[in-house]
Amino acid sequence: MSKQNSRSIAASLATAACSLLGTSTVSPVQAQEEPGWDFNTALLYYGESDGRVQDFSLNVLANRAFVDDRILSLGLTVDSLTGATPSGALPFDGPQTFTRPSGKAVYTTSANEIPLDDSFLDTRVALTAGWAQPFARLYTFNAGVSASKEYDYVHIGGNAGLSRDFNKRNTTLSLGLAYAQDSLNPEGGTPVPLSPMLDVGDLSNRIGDQDKDVVDVVLGLTQVVNRNLLFQFNYSLSQSSGYLNDPFKFLSLVDPVSGDPVGHTPAPGVSGPSHEYRFESRPDERTKHSVYGQAKYYMSGKVLDLSYRYMTDDWEIDSHTLDARYRWPFGDKRYLEPHVRWYTQTAADFYRISLVDGAAPLEFASADYRLGEFDAITVGMKYGWKTRSDNEMSVRLEYYMQDGTAPSDQIIGNQAGRELYPDLDAIIAQFSYRF
Amino acid sequence: MCRSVTVGLSAVILCLTAAASGCTSMGVEPWERDVLAKEEMQLTTDPVEAGIDDHIYFSKEASSGGRGFGGGGCGCN
Amino acid sequence: MRAGDPRKPQLRRTAGYYQGEFQAMGSPCEVLVDTTDEKLARKLLQLVAAEAWRIEDKFSRYRAGNVVSTINESNGMPVTVDDETASLLDYAATLYELSEHRFDITSGVLRKVWVFDGSDRVPGAESIRQIMDSIGWHRVSWQRPRLRLQRGMQIDLGGIGKEYAVDRAAARISPVASCPCLINFGGDLVATGDVRLPDGWQVGIEAPDQEGAAQKLISLRSGALATSGDSRRFLLKDGIRYSHILNPLTGWPIEGAPDSVTVAADTCTQAGTLTTLAMLNGPEAEAFLQSQNVKYWCLRTPRARP
Repeated sequence: MSKQNSRSIAASLATAACSLLGTSTVSPVQAQEEPGWDFNTALLYYGESDGRVQDFSLNVLANRAFVDDRILSLGLTVDSLTGATPSGALPFDGPQTFTRPSGKAVYTTSANEIPLDDSFLDTRVALTAGWAQPFARLYTFNAGVSASKEYDYVHIGGNAGLSRDFNKRNTTLSLGLAYAQDSLNPEGGTPVPLSPMLDVGDLSNRIGDQDKDVVDVVLGLTQVVNRNLLFQFNYSLSQSSGYLNDPFKFLSLVDPVSGDPVGHTPAPGVSGPSHEYRFESRPDERTKHSVYGQAKYYMSGKVLDLSYRYMTDDWEIDSHTLDARYRWPFGDKRYLEPHVRWYTQTAADFYRISLVDGAAPLEFASADYRLGEFDAITVGMKYGWKTRSDNEMSVRLEYYMQDGTAPSDQIIGNQAGRELYPDLDAIIAQFSYRF
Repeated sequence: MCRSVTVGLSAVILCLTAAASGCTSMGVEPWERDVLAKEEMQLTTDPVEAGIDDHIYFSKEASSGGRGFGGGGCGCN
Repeated sequence: MRAGDPRKPQLRRTAGYYQGEFQAMGSPCEVLVDTTDEKLARKLLQLVAAEAWRIEDKFSRYRAGNVVSTINESNGMPVTVDDETASLLDYAATLYELSEHRFDITSGVLRKVWVFDGSDRVPGAESIRQIMDSIGWHRVSWQRPRLRLQRGMQIDLGGIGKEYAVDRAAARISPVASCPCLINFGGDLVATGDVRLPDGWQVGIEAPDQEGAAQKLISLRSGALATSGDSRRFLLKDGIRYSHILNPLTGWPIEGAPDSVTVAADTCTQAGTLTTLAMLNGPEAEAFLQSQNVKYWCLRTPRARP
């Protein structure tokens, strides 16, 4: 029963059994494991250094198989977020006071520190449901819905996809479509883009709830090359429209010579911001294209998983992502999996570290560090094992680091030498259990 | 912007066509799928972990999606 | 059927169908008939039991005077066999080739030294070596319908007999009734008739270490399932577990085979043969079945290493 002639065994057996039994009217076998649920769960801790964002999350994905390989999947994620996040304002050598996003109070950050908005504390609950089923022998259809709710954010979405196998199921072409509608309803309303941060109690620059729509199209090709190698290629188009701002992000208005923030005096008897800040303004359309390639290679028990993504959009952001995982089993029950990810992006064309007082007004501007130019590296290790009852557990620890660069042509006066880009360090710790 | 959109799309379609026509010489017979059927050889070995990572990077970077849909559905900061 | 047969089949009505039971080939056998017609159920049960006993009487190596004992007592003389026996021998010869000589109906004599009773009585290497001289289908002259064994050799059709009986019994009832029936001879089974239940018959595979507790449930709408492996048949000595699957090329048990292998196929004979071939592949059992593109379920219990 060596590998070379093992192919013929089942077929030869069928012929031999047929001549033994002398019957030709045998009905083909239809058997499958009695469908049951299987659960994929994970507990996650994500923590950024310097008191920034912390997230504890519980994730459950339950799958149930039905007759004829039809699969129902249900997912639940509960996130509990705390901590502070960079607001977009520049640090300088004096304290700065800001009006909270609710417009009801102020908070102050100390000199020479990147101003963080610590007012955010949220619980997010996300649900997904999906259905997949094969039809007409070579096709698979899938559809799903998703919804999530935060204190000030609601998302609903739907998706559908179709795939077809070719070439003895070695090639699969797939097409997927997704539509999402999100609505933002921050406490106190969403700020008018580029409007100034106002004193406590003044909500005159606030507008009501805002919406955004996202349409995604993914075209995919999966190709089996040989017994040990397969590839996946995707092209995706993603189009967002509507209110694409982050309502909590703003920019410092700075002096054209010193580069220091321009002061602001709150109305008498009222507290308010110490300086002039302007809420960010992003275009209300964004079109992203990305190409993604992934290879999985089996090397006598070890598995190399390599992927690359290139993304470009009409905000002039280009990014490259390289990801490598190496699954290294020892014994038949345990494995180690080192992971490295490298990411780089260019800045959006409207990314500004600050707005200059007296300069010609800009239509779009954002100091959100996520729209700036930066590199990021993730290094991690996962250890997985099978329990006595053949369920799988794993723990994973990763370190994520962002290193950004402020555009040198935007640095004015005293800004040189200050920390203009909020670098990020985070730990990802996860425990997973599948049963 | 429009120009690069068109170039991007046609390049991808070209790639796909080339791959689809070149792939008839690749692949395995059904009885050679023993390795490919292993759990660790699936494109997404752990869907929950993949979802967690997509969510983290969506919240911290300007890019998302690629492997699947763009993700999102949060006002993540 | 013989009157007053101690093996008399029992029929009873259970949840929505008739269940008939009898003993044959050393195993509990059952027929489930999805009908409300008791007369029909009784008739089908009798057909199935009669076929099982006919095959047992004809091919069991424990029955005196049947074709197998005639062959085994032929003392080197040729024996001319009937058509049915000849077809079984042809099938066995094909299997011998397909399995690269690891499926061998002449290997049954190893049972003289290997007794799998859960004890630690592992036979000595010398006694195994002696018995190897009378094993090997290549030493047999088979020219349908004439079979000649070398002196001291024996054949044992136990490795295919039960599955063959299941298929034969199915062939007996199909012309008579089209209602859904499940024929189960000691865990080797076939579903016949129209598929009425949406999920078909529910079949449980026993967990290796927990007798009676179904570890997996399989729904069978048509075709056959066969299971090989039995956690109660082994020897344990010095921390080494000897499975009851013997390699006829060495005379020793196969190492690293799953505790149980279940295969789904169009006929029970095919399914049963595939489970045996998988077992003979030892640690590669799953890879072998995967390469054959058949539906299978293997159970392995994690064991402490010696």
